[in-house]
Amino acid sequence: MVDPARALILAAAVSLLLVLVFWPGIGVLARWQRTRLNTRRILIEDALKHLYDYEYQQLTATHRSLAGALSISGDEAARLLEGLQSLELLRAQGEHLVLTDDGRAYALRVIRMHRLWERYLADETGVNETEWHHQAEVKEHQLTPEQADALAVRMGNPSYDPHGDPIPTATGEIPVKRGIALTKLQPYEHAEVVHIEDEPDVVYAQLVAQDIHPGIHIRMISIDKDKVQLEADGIENALAPIIAANVTVVPVDRTETIERHEATLADLPLGGSGRVVAISRACRGPQRRRMMDLGILPGTTITAEMRGIGGDPTAYMIRGATIALRMNQAKMIHIQRNEEKAG
Amino acid sequence: MTTVSGPNDDILIKAGNLRWKLGENFHDSLMESLYTEASRLADRAVTRTGAQQHFNWDRTLDQLLTGRWTGFPLMVALLMVVFWITIAGANVPSALIASLLIDTVHPMLQTFGSNIGMPWWLSGLLFDGVYLAAAWVVSVMLPPMAIFFPLFTLLEDFGYLPRVAFNLDHLFRKAGAHGKQALSMSMGYGCNAAGVIATRVIDSPRERLIAIITNNFSLCNGRWPTQILIATLYIGALAPPALGGLISASAVVAVALLGVAITFLTSWLLSRTMLKGEVSTFSLELPPYRPPQILRTLHTSLIDRTLLVLWRAVVFAVPAGAVTWLIANIPIGDQSIAQHVIALLNPFGMLVGLNGVILLAYIIAIPANEIVIPTVLMLTVLSSGAANYGEGAGVMFDLEDHRQYLAVFNAGGWTLLTAINLMLFSLLHNPCSTAIYTIYKETGSVKWTVVSTLLPIVMGLGLCFLVTQIWRLLGGAG
Repeated sequence: MVDPARALILAAAVSLLLVLVFWPGIGVLARWQRTRLNTRRILIEDALKHLYDYEYQQLTATHRSLAGALSISGDEAARLLEGLQSLELLRAQGEHLVLTDDGRAYALRVIRMHRLWERYLADETGVNETEWHHQAEVKEHQLTPEQADALAVRMGNPSYDPHGDPIPTATGEIPVKRGIALTKLQPYEHAEVVHIEDEPDVVYAQLVAQDIHPGIHIRMISIDKDKVQLEADGIENALAPIIAANVTVVPVDRTETIERHEATLADLPLGGSGRVVAISRACRGPQRRRMMDLGILPGTTITAEMRGIGGDPTAYMIRGATIALRMNQAKMIHIQRNEEKAG
Repeated sequence: MTTVSGPNDDILIKAGNLRWKLGENFHDSLMESLYTEASRLADRAVTRTGAQQHFNWDRTLDQLLTGRWTGFPLMVALLMVVFWITIAGANVPSALIASLLIDTVHPMLQTFGSNIGMPWWLSGLLFDGVYLAAAWVVSVMLPPMAIFFPLFTLLEDFGYLPRVAFNLDHLFRKAGAHGKQALSMSMGYGCNAAGVIATRVIDSPRERLIAIITNNFSLCNGRWPTQILIATLYIGALAPPALGGLISASAVVAVALLGVAITFLTSWLLSRTMLKGEVSTFSLELPPYRPPQILRTLHTSLIDRTLLVLWRAVVFAVPAGAVTWLIANIPIGDQSIAQHVIALLNPFGMLVGLNGVILLAYIIAIPANEIVIPTVLMLTVLSSGAANYGEGAGVMFDLEDHRQYLAVFNAGGWTLLTAINLMLFSLLHNPCSTAIYTIYKETGSVKWTVVSTLLPIVMGLGLCFLVTQIWRLLGGAG
């Protein structure tokens, strides 16, 4: 018979080995896949994206900004730029780096795939929104233009990605940049958020956490060098200016007052009722469609009926049907309390 | 790709430019206004009257069935009653069917075969192999399912089951699962294939996959008898006779609870790893209570669930019966195929505290857990030469009393460790082929079918290995 101590040690060693190889993200296999992916083609595509991005934002790309954006050394960046020039994707005008028409078309193809994939992740999967960008960074180098077109057709040719960036068309058309930075908005001005920057991660996570999404309505309250005080979709919110600078808005003429979203469904006490004002922009894709299917729409009256044993979920009376929703969903539904019935 | 040309250029370009101005929310606003308009029309046309009376009665019942203090006890009591009726009610018809199909018809078929001059191998393959396996599955499976499923469907029809999901949702939420998984789990105690079908009530893709993959951790109808038999023979025997029944019952309940714990653990792991990217939504309708429609319920639960599952099980049991008989009867050299395979599997079997016979029995019995114990008995007699028992090579059999079981098992070299590991392995091994096929039909995905099949085996072998080696390290026999 096998010595038990030896068998246990051997089994532990084998499982450790398996974990080291297959652990997602940091295992040997994942690392090997990453290095394999880090080919010259990807470097070229990422460089083109960077150059195009600067051009779109009317900034001047240099070989230093490229090295920074791709996390490569200055020498490598210089070699990469030489390569791009020999491929006639780029030409240098003194210090300035200018994309050729071919280079721009190539960059737009990659960007199209990136943004389409983000749209797909947002609308048709349960992938967390802080992961969209990273997964799209990988996918953009794998999709063929035909696959990208098929995906676009399936999703009804979306024109914007979930961060509000326009998705270039198959022919490479893209509108001029619109909007102004949120920090340029004056007190009492109204605006609609059209874009939030998805890089760096920390800023993006902060914006997501504060419930700032493309499509929400902003009313500026006050702004100084320490704090931006505003009303986002009727809810008071404060941002650090450095975070707010990553939000792009388009000012709108709005004289009538926006309905205040003073509470969410999660705030309703048992027996209390409220009228739906909106479903938060953070709730999207299948989640949002499900809510609408249930009849949770602006104007619907909802009454809290009973609470589950652990305090969650809560059953609500919605259009004559009793439907249980979890706390995190109820928080997505902005309501106005019906005062006379609350209690 | 479309190229813009011709007299409509201007319009197309204009449309293209306008599209950008629509912004990303336009689909959403469009949908919202459609829904709003639809509900406005409905509100104008539909008058609601007379709902008040029902409504109050429903709420009173709800307060009782989902109340903080009354919800859980009532739920446990109701489930116990359902299980008790199933077990108590199934014994008599099970014995009846078994005596009819196995003790009466089987010898008749054998006589018939020899009367018309059938060669021994043909009658052995058809009657001892194929017929017996199918008869076994029917007699063990049919009565409990024919009782359990209608009872369950009645509770569902009455509107109680959604309240169970509501009561338990906060536990399942913490594991990343849906409250309705409680229902598919309970259904799994009757039959995993039916449990997998029952996950259809879970309308969120991620949570539904979790429920499908973990359903196998609910001990099914075919595994309860194995658990009870082994616990009575080996674990109950450890205690003084007066307490034996209680101890062995506790051992079985402990295995079932281990299954529940593993369900939660696996759900938690899956929702955070493999299934992270799947779509997840939640909603749980609590329909009004209504008197169950008994006749319709009986019809649907018998036709849709019981007969469907039984038919699939029989279809899979037929080849299993043939294989069992063939490997026990075709010799290679001086031994049958079965004996060769047992010798081959034995070293690995011993490593995980089982033996070659048990592993081979679990391979042959993939079609139905019901035939595991008869197969183990037959193979043990075949390989150990305990010639006093059994009906011949390849013929599954059952024994009348516990001493006979012990005699056969001891001849096979079983110890308390073997018994414990068999109970664990019976909980944690691949789903039967009926369930595997059902998983494939329900998910439509080879990937998830393979995961649901292999995950429990890996877990079972790993757990048995750990238990065995630690047991031996601490000086236990076996």
